[in-house]
Amino acid sequence: MLGWDVASAGHFNENHSRFISMDQKTMSETKTERIVHGIMAEFTSVDSLLDACRRVRDAGYTKTDAYTPFPVHGIDRALGIKPTVLPWIALAGGLSGTLIALSMQIWMNGIDYKYIISGKPFISLPAFMPVAFELTILLASFGAFFGMWALNGLPKFSNPMFTDPRFDRATDDRFFLYIDAKDERYDADGVRNLLTETGSGYINEVVEDDSPKEVPKPVFLVWGLMVAFSIVPLLCILTMRVTNSSRPRFHVFFDMDFSPAKDAQQVTSLFYDNRAMRPDVPGTVARGQLSESLDMMTGINVEELAQQNAPRAERLVRAYLQGDEQAKAEEVAEVSEQDPPADEADADAAEEGSSDEQPAQQDSADDASAEDKPAEDKPAEEKPADDQPAAEKSAEDEPGKEEPAENPPAEEKPAEDKAAEEPTPSESSPQATGNASQPSVMETTPWLKQNPLTIDADLLAAGKKQFGIYCSVCHGMDGRGNGLVNRRAQAKGFDTWVPPASLHQETLYADQYPDGKLFSTISNGIRKMPGYASQIQLRDRWAIVSYVRALQMSQNASMEMVPESRREEIEREVTQVKAELERQAEEAAKAAAEREKKSS
Amino acid sequence: MSLAIPNGLDNTVERPGERAPLVLGETTYHDITEAVCQVAERPPSKGWIAGFLVAFALLQVLGLLILYLFYIGVGVWGNRSPIFWGWPIVNFVFWVGIGHAGTLISAILFLFRQEWRTSINRAAEAMTIFAVACAGTFPGIHVGRAWLAFWLAPYPSLNLWMWPQFRSPLLWDVFAVSTYGTVSLLFWYMGMVPDLATFRDRSKNKWRRMAYGILSLGWSGSSRHWMRYEKAYALLAAFAAPLVLSVHTIVSFDFAVSQVPGWHTTIFPPYFVAGAVFSGFAMVLTLMVPTRTLLGLEKLITIRHLENMCKIILATGSIVGLAYGTEFFIAWYGQVPAEQFAFINRAFGPYWWAYWTMVTCNVISPQLFWIKKFRTTPWIIVVISIFVNIGMWFERFVIVVSSLSRDYLPSAWAYFTPTWVDWGMLIGSFGLFFTLFMLFVRTLPIINMSETKATLAKQEHMAHMHVPAQAPLEAP
Amino acid sequence: MSEHAAPVVKPADDPAFQLPASLASLQLPLMSGGLFALVVGVGLAFLVGSGGALDQGSNVMPRFGFSAYLTAFMYVLTIVLGSLFFVLIQHLVRAGWSVVVRRVAEFMMIMVIPMAILFIPIVFSLFFEGSLYVWTIPDFAERLHLDESMWNTKKSFLNGPFFVIRAVIYFGIWIAMALFYWRGSTGQDETGERAATDRMQYWAGPCVMLFSLSLTFAAFDWGMSLAPMWFSTMFGVYIFAGGILAAHCAITLATYLLQRAGALRQEVTVEHYHDLGKYIFGFVFFWTYISFSQYLLIWYGNIPEETEWFFSRQRGIFGYLSLALIFLHWMLPFVGTMSRHVRRRPGLLACWAAYILVMHFVDIYWIIMPEARALGHEVVPTAGGVLGVLASVLCVVGMGSLVLGLILRVAGGNRVAPVRDPRLMESIVFENI
Repeated sequence: MLGWDVASAGHFNENHSRFISMDQKTMSETKTERIVHGIMAEFTSVDSLLDACRRVRDAGYTKTDAYTPFPVHGIDRALGIKPTVLPWIALAGGLSGTLIALSMQIWMNGIDYKYIISGKPFISLPAFMPVAFELTILLASFGAFFGMWALNGLPKFSNPMFTDPRFDRATDDRFFLYIDAKDERYDADGVRNLLTETGSGYINEVVEDDSPKEVPKPVFLVWGLMVAFSIVPLLCILTMRVTNSSRPRFHVFFDMDFSPAKDAQQVTSLFYDNRAMRPDVPGTVARGQLSESLDMMTGINVEELAQQNAPRAERLVRAYLQGDEQAKAEEVAEVSEQDPPADEADADAAEEGSSDEQPAQQDSADDASAEDKPAEDKPAEEKPADDQPAAEKSAEDEPGKEEPAENPPAEEKPAEDKAAEEPTPSESSPQATGNASQPSVMETTPWLKQNPLTIDADLLAAGKKQFGIYCSVCHGMDGRGNGLVNRRAQAKGFDTWVPPASLHQETLYADQYPDGKLFSTISNGIRKMPGYASQIQLRDRWAIVSYVRALQMSQNASMEMVPESRREEIEREVTQVKAELERQAEEAAKAAAEREKKSS
Repeated sequence: MSLAIPNGLDNTVERPGERAPLVLGETTYHDITEAVCQVAERPPSKGWIAGFLVAFALLQVLGLLILYLFYIGVGVWGNRSPIFWGWPIVNFVFWVGIGHAGTLISAILFLFRQEWRTSINRAAEAMTIFAVACAGTFPGIHVGRAWLAFWLAPYPSLNLWMWPQFRSPLLWDVFAVSTYGTVSLLFWYMGMVPDLATFRDRSKNKWRRMAYGILSLGWSGSSRHWMRYEKAYALLAAFAAPLVLSVHTIVSFDFAVSQVPGWHTTIFPPYFVAGAVFSGFAMVLTLMVPTRTLLGLEKLITIRHLENMCKIILATGSIVGLAYGTEFFIAWYGQVPAEQFAFINRAFGPYWWAYWTMVTCNVISPQLFWIKKFRTTPWIIVVISIFVNIGMWFERFVIVVSSLSRDYLPSAWAYFTPTWVDWGMLIGSFGLFFTLFMLFVRTLPIINMSETKATLAKQEHMAHMHVPAQAPLEAP
Repeated sequence: MSEHAAPVVKPADDPAFQLPASLASLQLPLMSGGLFALVVGVGLAFLVGSGGALDQGSNVMPRFGFSAYLTAFMYVLTIVLGSLFFVLIQHLVRAGWSVVVRRVAEFMMIMVIPMAILFIPIVFSLFFEGSLYVWTIPDFAERLHLDESMWNTKKSFLNGPFFVIRAVIYFGIWIAMALFYWRGSTGQDETGERAATDRMQYWAGPCVMLFSLSLTFAAFDWGMSLAPMWFSTMFGVYIFAGGILAAHCAITLATYLLQRAGALRQEVTVEHYHDLGKYIFGFVFFWTYISFSQYLLIWYGNIPEETEWFFSRQRGIFGYLSLALIFLHWMLPFVGTMSRHVRRRPGLLACWAAYILVMHFVDIYWIIMPEARALGHEVVPTAGGVLGVLASVLCVVGMGSLVLGLILRVAGGNRVAPVRDPRLMESIVFENI
């Protein structure tokens, strides 16, 4: 629209020559057919214009205006123009800018998104001043700028004044005085006479702009096409956002997605072990890793242990507080009744230079239990001599795995591995597997009797969640040892499969199997079960302990244990379930009977 | 008493009680229109085409280097620990500073009724906007992932669920520079509307007429419109004047709120503002002196205009010198070892060359403007202005690099070396600036015609009034 | 444009350019009363300082007496120097509008000579260790556990003799400049020589530079060194901002009073008040800008050496004064002088000018008086109770009246406008757009 009106304002330009060629008389004749808005007079100097303005004002005309190429001071007085309300608009803009800025900053940084930075209060008024100032200025300027155009009624591209080609010089060096036909005193001849008296060299009627108002079709076409095309990319983006795709993400910007730093398991020639990811420096603990007490980290009452078995307590301190990997490996192997993981042992050997063995080629991702890795340390000494068959067995346990050739299969298989072969329930009680002369570590360790965390609904919920993620796949959601993995193994009939233990055995209840021991088992694993210390957060492991206790309790619960307020509800549920079960049983019986009938 | 030196030659001499003319020659309103419009209406000269092509080529350098930066990452710059603010921030502060002259001329000199501003304000405002465009580029690409720079805006994001940090001076900067850019643009455009109407009314070509017609919003020169227009102009000037101060003040806060030795000093806000005006005027002079000659605008942009700008350079240069001195004195007086070291290090450390270049260009070279010969000879003005530009670039270099390269932690000290990308982007930013300027010269009215005509009218009016300039002298 | 009646410049001996008798008769009462009030005020302040009057806690030290005097001195001096700067800048930019009010500024500017004499008590204070500037205490470093070598370096600047030498230099510069412009301007009254205007303009540039340098260092010496371990590069600008604002207010108020008394009735018009009002508004903003920037940078940086200064001003009565400065020195006059309608009403504008002059005193008081406390960071500064405030007010009123009396005395012997300035006509017909 806008564009075309401008052209229409320019339309007369094409007729320019035609107008010029006509003489004054014919022109006014042609124009009588068009609507007359008023009369304009041209002046060549500021002074003559001002003079004329005063005369026109004194003659009583009010609907007048002057058109000048630059602002002429005093003309507002000469024409009687009133002052403008613009400053108030700007003031309103400025005040709203201040308010918006202050409330925005207080809301965003003081209330909605609190973030501590450089020790400043959340609501830091001095720091909010600059933005408040800027927005004040910005909105005040908007008020002044847009307010001015709005008050002036601009943009307005079609203006009767523009119909006279001489008016082009109003923006160059000519001054025009205009008297509107709507003025009460307007009378064409009188006005003409008055203006002639003022010494104007050119007086003419201002007529309606009759150039075509319709916007030409091509403009619509082009506009429509542009809109259509501009929507296409938006649609593409929208489609991509709401649909799934199996193809890799399309990278407009790389965002460092291919940065080498993103690849965790890299080989580097910089370090002796060729690993780009570095283990902890011995004797140190990484920041944030030392958040809880040693008791809580191990599940052992270390104070008591120190009195019974000082070397082991020292080892615990080394392992958990000083980052001694070797000690940790020993400790884990002992409490999980397994070998120490091979890689730690290797690293240690390499460090000491006492072993000429090459580090075993390893598949570090999946050998958390690492039965098949060499280790020649203390655990071996503690094991009985007859563990060779066990080792062989354990090698058979995992058919997919080959033993490295240079691996002496002897020494490192713990005797307790036998237990793994035995089906439940005896596996959970190590003393049953022999070795009765010497009480095992698991027996003698002074485990924490109680969960160190405060047990509440949140903790149980967290425990339930973690149990569902990590434990239930083998132990089942109900803890009876019949998780999905077990069912699949049974279905496939793997004869080497050791079914996971049911958690509902008396030997696993809190009086026989203290919380600390259960925690240790979760953390470090036991026999075939791998340790989960690296996957589950410390507190979550304790949460699982609490949840397992709750699970166990649930199987032997009596109505007295339920809070009175909920008993009714549960009883109702029980009756419902019973009824449902009976109904199903009946249906099943009926169905069976019918089937029998049919088959017979 | 008639003027000793009539219109036309030297208007740098002003007899007390009589104002020297700002428009020279027997000029009429129409002459002003002609002189300004012919610049855009005549076919482009070979010189213009050549200049535009060079500038445009440099702009491509900037564009390609930015793409390269996006592709590889910010490592292509010389920014290394501990100098994380290298050339991009130096260039940013440099360009923002350049962008201060325009609005200062249009706003503050307007408020001070300095009528000589009328024939240079348009071009200076244009330079402001182009310089702010150059300036905005650098922090934009310095954020690392530039395509996420919109995270700086406080918009309710469904992805982030967080808000920008308003207690950070860097965010103040975002608001200050964008507000400044916006208000300068409004101010510039508003001032241009009556002149665009002149362009519209002179256009012979229909499409040209339509384009200028849209831009001039149907301006007719009505007195009522003029009255509101002038009010709005005065209001915008009143808003823009503190805004100019605030922008470089906030840029100075980026540095001064920190505790880096050499940055944390309270004089920074006024000192940065003075420095910005200083460099901005130098850039205006560097460009306007050749432009007025090439485009034949000597009658409108007279030696007197140039001289006045030189005086402003002299004044602001002296303020900057005083600030350097105060900083040094307080560093000694405060007796804080790190602060003392920072200043000694600036002058005699590994960046001594940058420091002394800065002092020579910024403090010593403008002092030449005490000599009238120097501030009225165009080519000397250009030479000194270029020195000032160089000096102000080095000032930012000294502040950013020398302070960061040696702060509290000696083990982290390092020496900054720019890469070829740094160089290319600096040069490329000039390409952006000059490309925009070249286009501006060809398409828009480079001198404020309506205001110049008003000045001429006033000049004539005063001459007509024959007001005795002083009381008739009586015998004592 | 040419609607008003053709203006005329009155002859130089016209009564419009003479100090009205009603004002001239005030000079003796003002001088004697001022001197009396000053003496009583200082005496009272010493009394409060010695703790002999009322028990206002042990925080008020003998420094109170000299500090109250210094407050009054700095208050008047900043206005005087602001006027000097006003005159310099009008010449530098060849201003036309301000000619009719320039002589008023010149009267205040020339008061820099009596101010030099009024400085003598401050020199006197140096002989009594710690009676005003704590750096005069010989064992200052030991008492505050400062590093000895660092303190010795600092003492090479902050020591009695050098302090006096610098003061002599500052006053030398200011008196020379004031005399030069005074003679140039009053001389022109007699001769009407145009070259005098040229000469004054020629020297304005170097004078402004010298002025800013000397004012910066004077502010460091007399204001900043009250807390010798504190430093802020902005401090000189801060003092300048307050002074130039107060000077514009004083010019407005004085011109208004002159007109009320009958002088310059036709010469100074509403247009001049409008312009002065714009400058007052602008400098209120400028003062806020400078003081806010200084505060923000120190607050944000949060370095103990720097925050100490504001810390002592955020406690006790000075905490309220800090808030008062924000609301009453910035917001209220900022809003009050924003409107064109206020600026174009001379009476109203003069009220605002008087108000800001009071606030300027609060500002100076807030800068100086908190340092009149016992050594140690934990000491809360006090205003010395009712008597202390009374003493401070008496000091400033006394010194102000004394100087005002002197101004009237000087004005009585001269014309109250530069009657033969070549730009006088331009100034009289001046009109705001």
